[in-house]
This record gives sequence, C-alpha cells and structure tokens, in this order.
Amino acid sequence: MEVLKKDVENNRQHLEAVQGVGSNKNDVEIKGAFKQFGANVVLNGIDLEVKQGELLTLLGPSGCGKSTTLNLIAGFLDPDRGEVHIKGNNVTKVPPYKRDLGMVFQTYSLFPHMTVYENLSFGLKLRKVGKAEQKKKISKALELVKMSGLENRYPRELSGGQRQRVAISRALVVEPELLLLDEPLSNLDAKLRHELRAEIKRLQKEIGVTTIFVTHDQEEALSMSDRVVVMNAGKIEQISTPTEIYNHPKTEFVFQFIGKSNCFEGNVSAVDKRKIAVKIGSDITHVDTNNVMGNESDLKTGDEVKLYIRPEKLQVVSLDEKSSSPLDFHRAKISQMNYLGTSWEINVLLQGKSIQVLTSAFDSSWQNGSEVLIGWSPSEVMLVKK
Amino acid sequence: MEPIRSYASQEIEQQTSPIEPQKKPKSKKRKVWVPGLLLLTPILLFIFGFFVIPMLYILYLSFISTDNLGGVEAVYSIKNYTQLFSDSYYLSSLWLTVKISLYSVLVALFLGYPVALTMAKSSARIRGYITLLIVSPLLVSIVVRNFGWYLLLLPNGTINQTLMALGIIDAPLKLLFSEIGVVIGLSNAYLPFMILSIVASLYNIDPSLDKAGAILGASPFRRFFSITLPLSIPGIVSGCILVFSLSMSAYVTPALMGGANVPVMPVVIYDQINNLLHWTFGSALSYILLATTVISVAVFTRAFEKGKFKEVFR
Repeated sequence: MEVLKKDVENNRQHLEAVQGVGSNKNDVEIKGAFKQFGANVVLNGIDLEVKQGELLTLLGPSGCGKSTTLNLIAGFLDPDRGEVHIKGNNVTKVPPYKRDLGMVFQTYSLFPHMTVYENLSFGLKLRKVGKAEQKKKISKALELVKMSGLENRYPRELSGGQRQRVAISRALVVEPELLLLDEPLSNLDAKLRHELRAEIKRLQKEIGVTTIFVTHDQEEALSMSDRVVVMNAGKIEQISTPTEIYNHPKTEFVFQFIGKSNCFEGNVSAVDKRKIAVKIGSDITHVDTNNVMGNESDLKTGDEVKLYIRPEKLQVVSLDEKSSSPLDFHRAKISQMNYLGTSWEINVLLQGKSIQVLTSAFDSSWQNGSEVLIGWSPSEVMLVKK
Repeated sequence: MEPIRSYASQEIEQQTSPIEPQKKPKSKKRKVWVPGLLLLTPILLFIFGFFVIPMLYILYLSFISTDNLGGVEAVYSIKNYTQLFSDSYYLSSLWLTVKISLYSVLVALFLGYPVALTMAKSSARIRGYITLLIVSPLLVSIVVRNFGWYLLLLPNGTINQTLMALGIIDAPLKLLFSEIGVVIGLSNAYLPFMILSIVASLYNIDPSLDKAGAILGASPFRRFFSITLPLSIPGIVSGCILVFSLSMSAYVTPALMGGANVPVMPVVIYDQINNLLHWTFGSALSYILLATTVISVAVFTRAFEKGKFKEVFR
C-alpha cells in the first residue's frame, strides 16, 4: 500500500514539477461537449472541470447523459463537437487504450478465462512491468481491497462483492491517471453496496487518484463525493458539494431529484429586499430572497410561483402550542401517521393539499383527523417561478 | 473402383445413413421432469425404431464372416475387422477421410471466423441479413450445388480458364476429381455450421470485457488475441466438431468431386455394400468409421476442456 501511495505521490510531484501546477489544477476538462445518437441529443453542450485528487460524481436519471460523459472521458465515444482534455492534453481523438485510465464497470468485467492474478497482470504486462515488480504491485493492490490470497481464483469462483473488489484493484494496479467508476455498485445487494461505498471513498482518499463516479443513486452520490454534478436531459443542472446540492439546489429539477420534497403553488403577494411573501390559498408565507431558484430576479406581485420544502424541515405542533419562533405556522389536518423507528412520517392536509412531514417531535394526543399547526422557516423554503 | 457419379440420384436417401456420429451434450445433474419425459416419448420411440435398432443390426452383421460368394462362414467372428487392419487400402482410405475432414475443418474455420466476427459486431438487423445469406446455400440440394462446382472446377471450367487467361498458370490445375476438389466442396457445404457456432459463442461475450481490455491499454489487435479469441473457443470447438463429423460421413460430395481418385470411407463402404454386396464387411467398415469419428471428437473436446482455456467452457 505504501509503495503504491508513494508512487502516486512521486507521480504527482513529477507532474507538478513538469507542468508547474498546484492542487487546484484540473485533471479533466470537458469543453462544450455535444453528442447526438440519431435524432436523440444525449449531451447538449457540457462544460465540466474535474479537480486533481477529487471524487466527482455524475448523478442523474437514466438517459441524462452521465454515462455518455464518462464514455467521452474514457474514449469509448467521440463528441460530435467539443473537446476532452486530460492532464492538460487534448485527448478528444485519442483511443481509450492510449489514455492510461482505470475503469470499473457495473458488470465487473473481469476476464473470465484469467485468474485474479492474471486479470491484474494484464495491464501491467502491457506497460512492460517486470515479473518481480508485477508480483509486488499485484499483492499490494489486492491487499488494498482486502483480497489477498485469492490470486489463483477464477472470477467464477468469487462472489459479486469480491469480483467488484478485484475489478477495483485491477483498475488501480496500473496507477492510472484517472479512475472512472461506471455504476460499480448497482449490481450488489444493499449491505455490500454500503460496505463498498465506504471502502471506495477510503481508497480514493488514501491513493489520491482523481475519480469520476457515475451513479443514479443519490444517497451514493451525496455520501461519497467531494462534488456532485447533477445532470438532466443532456445538460448539467448544478455542480456543488453534497451539502450545497441538498440544501441549496439551484434548479427545480435538482430539488425534486435529490431527497424528498413537498410542493405548494401560490402567488407572490409582496416583494421586499429580504423576503418574498407568497399567498397560498388564504395563507401567507415567506421565502428568503436568496432562496429563489434559477435566475428570475424580477419577481413581481401576482406572479405564479411554486414553493418547495423538504419533509424534515417542517415542524408540527399542537394548536395551543404556537410558539414565538420565527416560523410561519399554518393550520393543517393530520391524515396519516407512520412510525419509522427513529422518526414519524406524518401526512397532513394543508389547504386541501397533502404534505409529508418527517419529525421526531411527536405528541401522543395526535391522531388521524387532529388539527395541528405546521411551520417552516423562510430560509428553508425554495421558490421557483412557474 | 468405378466412378460413382452415376449413383448420385440414389444417394439422396443415403445422406441420412446411420453412419452419422451422434455427439451427446454433456449431461448435467438435474432432476428429471416427468411430464417432460412423456413429451419425449414419441421421439424416443422414433429414434429407437429407426436408428438404434438398425445400428444394432449393422453391428450384428459386422461380426458375421462370409466367404467370397457371400455364404456365411461363421457368426461372431472378428474376421471383418482383422481384414480391414491387414489391408493397407482400407487403412489409407481411413487416413484419407480423416485428412480431408481436417482440411475441410481448417478451411471452414479460417473462412468462417471473420464472417462470424463481423456478424457478432453488427446490429440485429444486419445480423439477420447475414444469417440469411449464410444459410441460403443449405436451401440448395447438395447434388445441384456440386454440379455447380463442376462448372467452376473442370479443367476447362471458369476458374482454370480465368487463371490461364491471366497468365498465372500454363496448364489447367487438377481441381476436380482430386482431394482439393473434395475439400472445397466439403468446406463450402459445412461452412454455415462453423459460422453459426462461432457467432453464438462470440455473441455471448460481455461487450464490456473488450472495453475493460481497452482501458487497461490493449490495442484492438491485442484484445482480439487475449480476450475475444480465447472466449470464443467453445464456439470454435463445436463448429470444428460439427464440420469434422459431417465431413467424415459425407458421401455425395466426395463421390461427385473426387470420384474414384478420392476413395474416402463412405465411398468405400457404399462400394462394398451396393456394388460388391459385401454387407458384413461394409458393416464393419461403417463401425470403424464411426469409432474413428467419435474417438477423434472425444479427444479433441477433452484436450480443450482440460487445456489452458478450460475456464471458458464453464
């Protein structure tokens, strides 16, 4: 492990010496990538920069272009327009086998006719690494993923989790410029997925290899990444840290795609510098002006808007409990209560609309049909113009 | 021996002669599904009545020794078999049959693999068209096809005339009534079996393996020899077995394309039984041919299943 880490470190120092770059250097740059299959535009002008040493996740629903983006970086696809740069070199037209990358696939993709050892030595042989050196590197790489001692097994003789560990070490053993992970956990069961998720994160930090991870699983993306790229319909919706993505989504799509959300519709009734007042039915509620999603800064009284709020940001209190907190409270009626162990999921009807609340504060007098107050802070509500 | 061309028309029935070897797929331990067994009854009865019994009868015949006039000398004698091994004519015929079959396998393999590779990489629609093209020769009677080859291969046929006109050769090549002619005919006839076997195998290879190879730094050439080729071995093996077995037992093509110059075993057997009326000796020859084919196929398969690439058969 030490050797591998040291090699990587040497590599980086060497690179920095050659290129005169620091840690804020971009390892990958995609510029204006456009890709079309027939009449179907899969990438509609993507600009993306991946910083050295970070774990960047491409997240989005299927067909959003995240896999296409990864394939552009790997070299399995050419963009119709635009460029791909890796470590400062324009590799747009360079075939994958000359890009010096490591990649882990959803289907493990271990060579079934080769032992674990042979799978790992495949890339090393191509790089003309000597026999003794190969052996050393392979045993380090297997140790890294806790697979030592299984060198002579065939992939068929391994479990799914073991296969994916071997696949990861096969990608890392060649000390690639970049590590690409194409939904590597999707074929594993939930327990293994959690285990490997933590392990990939640990490995990535340990080795420091710049990593691009593709997933459709938001939990995976939020828990593992340094930065998350949310994609939809061939475009990038937002690039931010996981907490930013969750708490301050920039677009309606991001809000709806990540986590659970409640939506109200209403009209702007007043706008001032700090707050926007919105009328929902007969109630008035407030939104901080910097919680407006998108770039509509020209909200006027009467504009139709949508408000989004996460279930766990809502508070439920009994009618007589109206506190002095700076929350907007509204009368609502409980329609269903589900106990989840650590919290309650309470469905309430507000202005005839069903709203979901996740809360740990619970009053035993509440039951279906009880009138309660639900409240939220203007800083937790996101607003988008309809 | 007389040229056998004149018997071509009778031969059509002979094509399904009981000499054809049967290779059973490797059985896996599974519970027998009783209704399934019932559904199999008609075919089992059919095979038993029209294949197993005649084969046993021929086996019985092969152990009867006769004098030159056909009179029975002794029942349960191995004279027919010893006669075969003591006469170099029959041994060389057996060797010729094996040799021609091996050549046909090699020709079919080298012609067929690139086609299979192209097919496996094509879209489903294109693959459909190619499949149609590949099996289309099977729609033409083998006799008609062989007479087509005649026109091409005759001393003054298309191929010889073209080569001579181009100045590549001075005198016509002996393509017809030679081993070359038989190999051309057999490999042409059985090429579809080779191609379709290999395609099935190539098509089962996970395409991401090729991607994995590329990302690890292997050029397309390298990926073919390290990944695609080894993983298609099961298809190659089954294709080779099919073409070999079919070639070993082929009668029409060697009879028409080789004639008396290429006395392969099926031709010799036909001659013994239909011309010389040596039923018992012919039966023994049939069983020797069958045994040779079965043993060759078994050894060949075994060699691959135990060899370096044994993993690809699992």
